[in-house]
Amino acid sequence: MSLPPWISRRALIGLGAACAVLAVGPLLHDNLYLHNLLTLTFIGIAAALAWNWLGGYLGQVSFGHAAMFGLGGFVAARGEISLHLPMVFAWIFGGLVAGAYALLWGHPTLRLRGPYFSIATIGVGEATRLVGTYWDWLTGGSSGLSLPMHPNLKYTLYWYGLALAALALAASYALRRSSLGLSLLAIKSDVDAASDVGVGAVRLQDLVLFLSGAMMGVCGGFYASYFSYIEPGDMFGFDRSISWVLMGVIGGIGTIAGPALGAVIFVLLRQYLIASYPQLYLGLYGILLVLVILFEPLGLTGIALRLFHRVRPDLSVTGVAGED
Amino acid sequence: MERFLELVIASVLLAGLYATMAYGLGLIYGVLRIVNLNHGGMIMAGAYAGWYLHSEFGIDPYLALLPVGTVAFLVGMGMYRLLVHRLPRGAAGGVQSLLLLFGVWLVMRNIAYLLFTGNDQTVHTTYATRAITLAGAQVSVNRLAVFGVALATLGILHILLTKTYFGKALRAVAQNPESCTLQGIRVDRIYALTFGLGTALASVAGLLGATLFPFNPSFGAAELLKSFVVVVLGGLGSVAGTAIAALILAAVEVFPTAIPGFPTYLTAALGFVLLVLVLVLRPGGLFGQRVLG
Repeated sequence: MSLPPWISRRALIGLGAACAVLAVGPLLHDNLYLHNLLTLTFIGIAAALAWNWLGGYLGQVSFGHAAMFGLGGFVAARGEISLHLPMVFAWIFGGLVAGAYALLWGHPTLRLRGPYFSIATIGVGEATRLVGTYWDWLTGGSSGLSLPMHPNLKYTLYWYGLALAALALAASYALRRSSLGLSLLAIKSDVDAASDVGVGAVRLQDLVLFLSGAMMGVCGGFYASYFSYIEPGDMFGFDRSISWVLMGVIGGIGTIAGPALGAVIFVLLRQYLIASYPQLYLGLYGILLVLVILFEPLGLTGIALRLFHRVRPDLSVTGVAGED
Repeated sequence: MERFLELVIASVLLAGLYATMAYGLGLIYGVLRIVNLNHGGMIMAGAYAGWYLHSEFGIDPYLALLPVGTVAFLVGMGMYRLLVHRLPRGAAGGVQSLLLLFGVWLVMRNIAYLLFTGNDQTVHTTYATRAITLAGAQVSVNRLAVFGVALATLGILHILLTKTYFGKALRAVAQNPESCTLQGIRVDRIYALTFGLGTALASVAGLLGATLFPFNPSFGAAELLKSFVVVVLGGLGSVAGTAIAALILAAVEVFPTAIPGFPTYLTAALGFVLLVLVLVLRPGGLFGQRVLG
């Protein structure tokens, strides 16, 4: 069996082993709290990685990804309720619609680099939330939508979530390590120079945007199935958009697996913070952002790289991660 | 016809506030090349400062403008020295400055929430409901006053930027910081002063806004967006461009309210649609790029 040269055998084995352990894990314990926490972590990992494709690989930070998450969630829920689509097809349907929506607003705004794009995403998020709240036909308005309950579905969704997270991680790897990843790096560093040497910047940016939006939409659909009740204020919420920014930044923005690590930390942290200090969590997010940006812009991945460098200075890995 | 005139007057009065709001954002971006995402936070802080001074000490919001602006100026300078100053310049600095200032905004929102709860607040002055007749239309005295203050602020800014040494230095730094260093201009100090000035403008706009609208700790998010629309529309730092852009945004928001049955929540989305249209059709702003002044 021969692999494309950009796939490292070690990474493949690592991902496979991690998935195997997590897949059989629930059969060995019956801790429902842990089961639930892990499922939430999977969905966080998938979403944070999808955010990172745009925010990290392309350097286009989005503060409005909840728009696609919410849209995908509601479209999937509607698909299940009104069209009687099977669950997974409903998610894919929601994902496609969310990806198309991302292209709709993103294609024009992605011409602009950096801050212009980021601020536009705040607008997208807010506008989508407002429209979503009042669009009763799709979202059920402020009373939300309830999905049909299936016994045991919530328990089973653990494995779907694991598959989703693994898929997102594999896609992150492929997007970074394949020749496509080099093109994305070139676009991130200098769009004009990249275009000059024949990188199809517009098409590639659209592709990444679509993938990111579609994955967000699928995550939204998964979330809807998992909680079997969704409500626009929560699905489209600004806090939700921020959470993915934070996962990316904590873990290491632009790195392959950093955001996944960030998602794990974030979910644990939120579980603890919301239980203990529900009034403070927004400010603590803010302080975390400020500290990471000021002291370690590559987040946990940056710290890991530094430690690694200290232990094995001969195997310096600088240049591998998504440094700016 | 009379209704039309009313709408025009309402647009013009609202545009004054929008121009003041946007100018601070445009100024900081024009000179430091940083989008101050904490702009919304300072707008919110200005609103709360005015409300607090009024409800606790009975100080008129318009008298509070100067002290609030001065404190915000110092806060902005401090924020620059403490945080923004440490960021790398260039492309990487762009993303990092966004995230950093966004973090500061979150902290400010949380502080406001802890101090004043999440409830809506309003500034009730004795003249809040008074109105005069202007060209056949009823106009709130308060809105007129806000407009007057906004005009005065922009006028002072224009003079500051075009007639003083500081203004000349600021415009020079915006054009080319390297040559400014060679000419003996202390670039870093200009950066700090500009950041302070932009921050002060945001808080003044917030204070003015508080006299017109109810607000809560997330006040400022929509205002940041509107400021951004105006900056993109009007080009950077040109007072005239900013004024025209603010007028366009205000008209886009005010006129649809005359359409019967137009859902009010959509007005918030209109500004954004305008933003995307401008970004697509005229990425350099309606009037092209301008130098500050």
